[in-house]
Amino acid sequence: MDTGSIHILIYVINIFFIVYTLTAVGSYVILGTLSLFETIKYFRKNSYVDYKQILSSTVSPSISIIAPAYNESLNIIDNVSSLLSNHYANYDVTIINDGSTDDSLEKLIEAYDLECIDYLINEQIKTQALRAGVFKSTNPAFEKLTVIDKENGGKADALNVGLNMSKSDYVVCIDVDCLLLEDALQKMIKPFLETTKTRVIAAGGVIRIANSCVVKNGKLLAVNFPKKLIEKTQVLEYIRAFLLSRMAWSRLNGLLIISGAFGLFDRKIIIEVGGYDTNTIGEDLEIIVRMRMHMEEQNIKYKMAYIPDPLCWTEAPDNYKTFISQRNRWTRGAIETLRKHRKIGLNYKYRLLGLLSYPYWFLYERIGPVIETIGIVYLTTLVVFQKLRWDYAFVLFILAYLFTVLFSLVAILTEEHTFHQYKEKGIGYKMILTVLLEPFTLHLLILYAAIRGNWDYLFNKNKRWGAMIRKGFQKSKVNN
Amino acid sequence: MSKYQYFIEYFEQFPLVIQLLWIISGFFMIAVLVLISYLKMLRSYLRKKEKNTTKYEKEYELSLLTYLFSGNEVDEVNPEQQLIIDQLKTCSIDKLKRKILVSLLVKLKKDISGEMSESINKLYSQTGLIGYGIAQLKSNQWHVVVKGVRELAQFHSTEVYNEIFNIRNHSNREIRKEVQLYLVSLFNFKGLAFLDDLKTSLSEWDQIQLLEELHRGETQEIPDITPWLRSENESVVFFTLKLAKTYNQFEVKNTLIDLLLHKNKEVRIQVILTLGHLNVVESKEILKRNFNQSSQEEQVVFFKIFESLYDNNDESFLLEHIRHKNFDIKLKALSMLKKFSIDTFKNIEVLPTDIAYAKIFKFVENN
Repeated sequence: MDTGSIHILIYVINIFFIVYTLTAVGSYVILGTLSLFETIKYFRKNSYVDYKQILSSTVSPSISIIAPAYNESLNIIDNVSSLLSNHYANYDVTIINDGSTDDSLEKLIEAYDLECIDYLINEQIKTQALRAGVFKSTNPAFEKLTVIDKENGGKADALNVGLNMSKSDYVVCIDVDCLLLEDALQKMIKPFLETTKTRVIAAGGVIRIANSCVVKNGKLLAVNFPKKLIEKTQVLEYIRAFLLSRMAWSRLNGLLIISGAFGLFDRKIIIEVGGYDTNTIGEDLEIIVRMRMHMEEQNIKYKMAYIPDPLCWTEAPDNYKTFISQRNRWTRGAIETLRKHRKIGLNYKYRLLGLLSYPYWFLYERIGPVIETIGIVYLTTLVVFQKLRWDYAFVLFILAYLFTVLFSLVAILTEEHTFHQYKEKGIGYKMILTVLLEPFTLHLLILYAAIRGNWDYLFNKNKRWGAMIRKGFQKSKVNN
Repeated sequence: MSKYQYFIEYFEQFPLVIQLLWIISGFFMIAVLVLISYLKMLRSYLRKKEKNTTKYEKEYELSLLTYLFSGNEVDEVNPEQQLIIDQLKTCSIDKLKRKILVSLLVKLKKDISGEMSESINKLYSQTGLIGYGIAQLKSNQWHVVVKGVRELAQFHSTEVYNEIFNIRNHSNREIRKEVQLYLVSLFNFKGLAFLDDLKTSLSEWDQIQLLEELHRGETQEIPDITPWLRSENESVVFFTLKLAKTYNQFEVKNTLIDLLLHKNKEVRIQVILTLGHLNVVESKEILKRNFNQSSQEEQVVFFKIFESLYDNNDESFLLEHIRHKNFDIKLKALSMLKKFSIDTFKNIEVLPTDIAYAKIFKFVENN
C-alpha cells in the first residue's frame, strides 16, 4: 500500500470515529436532557400523592412477588422477611427454590413454619418439575408466603414456575437478595392504574447499591456511601444509568430493558408471550423485547413505565473477579437477545422499537465496546508507526474526559435535587473524587468485561452464568 | 514578552480545529468547576434546610398543641390562642415556614377527629393560610393548582366550592382528579354529582382514591346509582359497578342484568362479578344461556361466581364443561361436581392417556 492510500485510510477511519463519537455524545446529551424533564414531571405529579390510600383499598389489584433463589442460604430469611414486610394490601410472595444444593429450604421451613401442601399448578409455560413440592406456612402471620421447591432450571425457569403459580393481575419479578422498600409496590403499580387509553405492560424501578448500608431484619435503616472504589464507582454508574438514561427512554416509551433485579409486569401479557426464555442468559432484556414485539404485532397501544424512586436495593460485586463475571454475562445476554430478535432492527412495522430502541442498543450497547477497543488498538498502532497527531489526540482526550465528568456530575446533581440519599457530610467530596476516577477505573473494567463477553459468546458457547458470591448484608448490620 | 502573550501566540499556531476543541474544553472545564461548586452549595443548603425544618417543626408543633388544648369553647378564641394565631400568621409569610405549618396541620388532622379536627380547620382560616391556598388556584402551573385544591380539601374549605366545581372538567388530568377528590371529601356521595357530566375517563387509580375517600366519609347513604350505570362514559360505569359491589346495591340488579349485554367485554366481566357478589340468582339462567356465545374471560368469571348461585338443576351444565379447554373452568367444574354431586363425580371416566386431565381429576379427588 502506498503512502497516499495509507493517508486516505487513516482519514476514513478518523472520520468514522469522529462521527461515531459525536453521535454517541449527542445521544447522551439528548437522553440527559429528556431525563431531566421527565424527572421534574414525575416529581410534580407524585410529590403530593397519598400512597397510603391505596394500601388499605380492597379494590387494589393483586400482585405476586416472584423471587427465585439458588443457594441463598446466607441471607434467605432476612430477604424473605424484607419481601413480606411490604405495606401493600393485596399481595403475596412466592419464593422459588431453584434446586439449591444448600440448606435454603430447610431454613425457610424452620423460620416460617412451612408444610408441604397439595397444589395444582396450571402449567401454561413448560418448566422443570417440582422437587419437594409447594409449601405454605401454618402460621397465619405468614399466609402471604408460598415456597416452591423445584429441580434446577435457571433463573428464567424459576420465574416461569412463579408465573404459572400466580393468580394475581400483576407479578413482580425480583432477585431474592434485593431489599424492597415498604412502599415499593404501591409506587410501582401506580402507572398501571393511571392510564386509560394505553396499556402499561411493565414497569421498572431504580436499583440502588446497598453495600455498606445499614440493614436490619431485611429493612434498610441507613444509606451509606461504600468504602471500596469498585463499589463507589458502581454507585455512580447506577445513578447515571437509572436517572439519566432509563428515565429518558421511559419518556420516549422506548425502554428496552427492565432490570431483572426488580420489575413489575402485567401477568396476562407475560403469559401470552410464553414467559421467560430459558435459553438465554439475558432473560430480563429478552422478555421486554418479546413483550414489546407482541404488542406491536397485535397493534395494541402500550407503554413501559419507569419509576425513579430508589425502591429496590441490592448488593453489588465488591471484587473485580465477580464484577467482570457479572458484566461478561450482561454482555452475552444483550448479544443473544439482539441477535435473536434481529428482524426488528430498522423494521418500520415495529415503529419506535425497531427504528430507535433496537438500533440504539445495537450501536452503543452491543458494538460500542468493540468500537472502543478497535479505537484503542488503532491509537496504539498510530503511536507505534509515529503517525499520531499528538496535538489532536491530547485535546480530544481532555475533551472526552471532561464530558464524562460533566455527565456524571449532572447525574449526581439530579440525585441530590431529587432523592438526596447520601446525606452525610463529606460524601459530596467522595462522590466528586469517584467521578474523577471512574473513567480510568470502572469504565476500563466494563470495557474489558464486555470484550470478554464478546469473546465468550463467539468462542466459548458453553459458558452460562458466572457465580455471584454473596457476602450478605450481615457485615452492615447494627446490633440491637 | 509576558507569559500570557507567549501562550496566546503558541495557541494561535494550532490549526483552527484544535483551537476550537481547546475552547470547548475550556468551557467544559469551567462547567465542571461550576457544577462542583454548585454541588457543594446544594448539599450544604439541603443539610441546612433539613435542620431548619426539624427546628420549625418542633416549634410549631408545640404552638399547635398549645392552641388545641388551651381552647375552652369551639367558637371562642382565648388570648393565649390569639397570640399563637398571630405568631403563626407572621410565620406563614415565609414559604418554607408556611409549607412546614401546613404539613404539620395535615399530620395533626390525620391523628385526631371531631371538635379538634374542626379547630384545625378554623386555625387554617384564622392564620390566613386559606388565602395562600386560594391564591394557588389562580396559578398558571398545574401542579400548584393541584396543591391548592388538595390543601383546601384537607381543611374542608367550602368557601371556594363554586370556583373548584367549575374546573371539574379541566383539561389537565391531575387538576381534574384533585377536584373530584375535593368534591367527594367535602360532600361524600353528593360530591359524586360530577359523574353526571364527566367528559373524560376515570382511571383505576382515580376510582380507588374516590372509593377510599367515600369510605372515610361520615355519610354512608348512597344515592340512586342507576343513571351512572347507564352512563355513556364507560369509566363511570366501571366506577359505579365498584360502588354497587362495595355498598351492596342489590336494588340495581335489573340494571345490572341489562348490562350483561353491554358492548364492552370488560364491562360485562365486571357486571358478572358484581352480580355474583350480590348473589343475584336471576342472572344465572341468562349467563348459562349466553355461555357459549361469551368470551373465554367471561366464561372463567362466570365459573368463579357460579358456586354461590348453584342448585341441583345445574348438574348437567357442569357436566357439559368438565372437559372445557380452559384449565380454570375445568378445575372449577370438577370441584363443584365433587362438592354438590359426588356420585356423578365418581362416575366420570378418565382415560389414562389424557395425563393432563387425569392430573386435574386426581387433584380434585384428593382435595
